[in-house]
Amino acid sequence: MSDFFSFDTLSLHAGQTLDPEFGSRAQPIHQTTSYVFSDTDTASSLFNLERGGHVYNRISNPTVGVLEQRVAALEGGSAAVCVASGMSAVFCALTALVSQGDHIVASSNMYGGNISLLKNTLPRFGITTTFVDPTDLKAIEDAIQDNTKIVFGELIGNPGLSVMDIEAVAKICTNQHIPLMIDGTFNTPYLCRCFDYGANIIVHSLTKWMGGHGTSIGGVVVDGGNFNWGASKKYPTITEPYAPFSGINFWEEFGPSAFATRIRAEAMRDIGPSMSPTNAFLLLQGIETLSLRMDRHLLNTKELLQYLNNHEQVSWVNHPDMPSHDSHNIAKKYMPKGSGSIITFGVKGGRDAGKAFIENVKLASHLANVGDAKTLIIHPATTTHSRIDADALIAAGITEDMIRISVGIENVNDITQDFNGGFRAAKKFI
Amino acid sequence: MYIKVNEKKVFASTGGKPFKKSQPLVLFIHGSGLDHSFWGLHSRFFAFRKYSVLCLDLPGHTHSEGPPLESIEEMAAWVNDVIIAIQASAVSVIGHSQGCLVSMEYVSRFPELIKSLSLIASGYETPVNDFLLDAAKNKPQVAIAKMMSWGFGKAGHLHQGTIPGNSMIGGGYKIMKGNTPNELFADLSACNNYKGGKKAASNITAPCQLILGGKDQMAPRKASMALAEVLPPATNIEMIQESGHMVPLETPNQCRDLLKTFVFANNPTS
Repeated sequence: MSDFFSFDTLSLHAGQTLDPEFGSRAQPIHQTTSYVFSDTDTASSLFNLERGGHVYNRISNPTVGVLEQRVAALEGGSAAVCVASGMSAVFCALTALVSQGDHIVASSNMYGGNISLLKNTLPRFGITTTFVDPTDLKAIEDAIQDNTKIVFGELIGNPGLSVMDIEAVAKICTNQHIPLMIDGTFNTPYLCRCFDYGANIIVHSLTKWMGGHGTSIGGVVVDGGNFNWGASKKYPTITEPYAPFSGINFWEEFGPSAFATRIRAEAMRDIGPSMSPTNAFLLLQGIETLSLRMDRHLLNTKELLQYLNNHEQVSWVNHPDMPSHDSHNIAKKYMPKGSGSIITFGVKGGRDAGKAFIENVKLASHLANVGDAKTLIIHPATTTHSRIDADALIAAGITEDMIRISVGIENVNDITQDFNGGFRAAKKFI
Repeated sequence: MYIKVNEKKVFASTGGKPFKKSQPLVLFIHGSGLDHSFWGLHSRFFAFRKYSVLCLDLPGHTHSEGPPLESIEEMAAWVNDVIIAIQASAVSVIGHSQGCLVSMEYVSRFPELIKSLSLIASGYETPVNDFLLDAAKNKPQVAIAKMMSWGFGKAGHLHQGTIPGNSMIGGGYKIMKGNTPNELFADLSACNNYKGGKKAASNITAPCQLILGGKDQMAPRKASMALAEVLPPATNIEMIQESGHMVPLETPNQCRDLLKTFVFANNPTS
């Protein structure tokens, strides 16, 4: 008999306390801005973090709180903070640690929004980043400077699909006493729980597979509770008294949830990227079926890989489950069930053929998202990664002929039939 | 804050306020394999109401210098050394689980400064089975999993809790992982070997309260009631029905309200 509830059970139940008044089985949507205090002592206790509970929706909300605890449970973290988007999660997590003059080491093969934040926005505040190939351990180690505060990458790079050897990178980080933050959007905790391999912080765009239905934008920062912030004087935002909050010392008082508490106390209050309760409800509905959907995503991905690899108009196919992929062995280690449902491929005939393909599929949706239950396609070079320069495009593994598929959970025969139409239209450009 | 006790570095969190020896002291003592952060909410409550607060890390645990102490009697003597080192004058002691054994032994042997004693989730003995002792020494991950599983009630297992976003069981696991294998094994061995609890409890003269979890699997009802029988007759016995063993985390509001009433009455601030 297991000591704890399984992943599937936690996906359905974690975090939810049944409504004691009406017994609502589904998690209610607490669509309110604020909460009535029973007395002044209770009010002051809530404001001063002496009592758990809710004050104002910018800081926390009961429906959002259930989502936070559910994701923390699924990831094996000690605490989580939900925010308005995946990008908010990255911003809040980074700025909880870095200040002017600090440095970040980041994967060059990441979502374009992450790259833009690190390359364009944070430097305006005196925070610099060195981008490295996430599969080059020596490059990661060499890029770490005295002022490096965090190493940041994706387990499955987007859209290049290289897989980071997190355990090896975590070892480098531990030796240098630097936390490792992983964007786990593409893998979800169903495929890999990155804390089990030494990551210290996980961020997600919940918009993608976690929510899974393309209804709601949301993000989350999960605190692994496994980093010794007090082992050096490098992280004063966590280990020194925080004057705006009565001199609170997050590390001393909140131990394994110090990092998450800092985000809630500072970023949620001063920046305010709060998630709406309705979005939290919709994302919770999605997470309830995460494992079921992921199994179908993986099954369809396997079928589509076979289809594309055998198609005469396909010049190349890229997915870590393919034995020919550079990251295949690492992918198998971290994601034995399968390494996600994003496939990239090149269509013969170049850019024009790619355009024709995208414009002539009917079932697959041409849009800028991934991880929907429905199959999605896009041309990254002209859309998601269009604002990054040519060198960064190469570093991210993006080519002009690349088409990215986010494989949905439709009947796979309908997807391949749809793609046949796209290939017929693309054929004239060969 | 860090203090020197017997030439060793000892860590205690102070609830977000500086320690002042002129104020009444609320002293928190954690259970096996845990640390000061177990008391986060409760420590802040008292610290912001004119009490000085010390949430100790027992020797070897988290931030305190080791090695871990090997018996409850040694731990009680060490607590007394802490109290002498910080020159406290009016002390309310709050212990959880193993911390109750340490508290009872300490209060019975060094009663002079004690204004109140709050015991949470304990009997007067804590026998530990061989499987858990062996796991603590040789397979700490197994021991932690068992203690977390037995320690938390349903709410803990479902990662619920009153602090938004926090997983009690996730946090507890991480604390305990940092205190294995030596500290956890030393703690559990000390609990298992301690036979002086009945005598210590019967010698207590300070006002006493006993807070129990109705679904506690680690300090079951029978053991807790046996303790209640030997504590002073005026002891306040409170049962929080929905809580497991980790009462201060699982039902923090009820637990704090009980502690507040008792400590305020017996160790008032000026």
